[in-house]
Amino acid sequence: MFKKLIEKSFEKSPWLFHLNTGSCNGCDIEIVSVITPRYDAERMGFKLTGSPRHADIILVTGPITSQSRDRLIRTLAQVPDPKVVVSIGSCPRSTNVFNGSYSVEGPLDKYVPIDVSIAGCPPKPEAIIDGLAKAIEILREKRRAMK
Amino acid sequence: MKFPYLKEAIKSVFKKPSTEIYPIVNKEAPEGYRGKINYYPEKCVNCGMCIRVCAPGCITRTIEKTEEGDKITFNFYQGQCTFCSLCADFCPRGAIELTKNYHLAVTDEKDLLVSGTFIKKLPPKPPVQPQQQVQNQQNQGAAKTE
Ligand code: SF4
Ligand code: SF4
Repeated sequence: MFKKLIEKSFEKSPWLFHLNTGSCNGCDIEIVSVITPRYDAERMGFKLTGSPRHADIILVTGPITSQSRDRLIRTLAQVPDPKVVVSIGSCPRSTNVFNGSYSVEGPLDKYVPIDVSIAGCPPKPEAIIDGLAKAIEILREKRRAMK
Repeated sequence: MKFPYLKEAIKSVFKKPSTEIYPIVNKEAPEGYRGKINYYPEKCVNCGMCIRVCAPGCITRTIEKTEEGDKITFNFYQGQCTFCSLCADFCPRGAIELTKNYHLAVTDEKDLLVSGTFIKKLPPKPPVQPQQQVQNQQNQGAAKTE
């Protein structure tokens, strides 16, 4: 019974980890504004965590620069399964305007499959909430599949 | 002792919460918001201006030769778009429009693709004169000069 309770609360409150791989800070500000009282994603259980080891959903921003590539791989390896990768903005999806730059090693799906992609430059906080709602469903499915 | 924010704090106790309950109450984007791209292929003249001004290069064009003319397809991959609206501003025919729709969170990458196809007719060929007539005309011309 205790286990069931834990299982249920897992699904109701996924923890987010925000990973910046060299973004211009536009998307990062939008993510932070989702956590503010105005949009308040915490009323749906999302909580921003400081450690990738605690995270269920990873929000990736930025086009993956050469400097941040190794850190990205290391951080993603630390996230416990099942994890959901959400790409915020156009940069991780396709490297956007930095396409073809010598210092950009994206897109993100070279390294990890993207589950939810939110387009926009930057996306509106409402769009991020939409994407998180989709991420929760995927997380639920992945949890069921693991059992 | 002074409490500089005391007035504000007391006021806020009686105010409604400022949270926007977004998924329950839908929110309109402000006027002039640049969201999802709409492309109207029937207005396009295939001048290529949009491809020229697009910085990330998210517009691609494929041209196929068919019997009726050139079959032209424009693809706007919104996963690579910066939503700068330059393509819409530069389009001489107003074939591109950035709408206020911001619901662009997708699980399938293909949903981010906006495409449109139209057929550009070849200019009509000049009517070919029958061989006999041409020769007659030439003969007449030759007769006149004599
Ligand atoms: S809005 Fe800007 S980035 Fe997007 S297709 Fe148009 S020109 Fe390209
Ligand atoms: S600028 Fe407008 S008319 Fe010209 S190719 Fe692009 S969509 Fe067509």
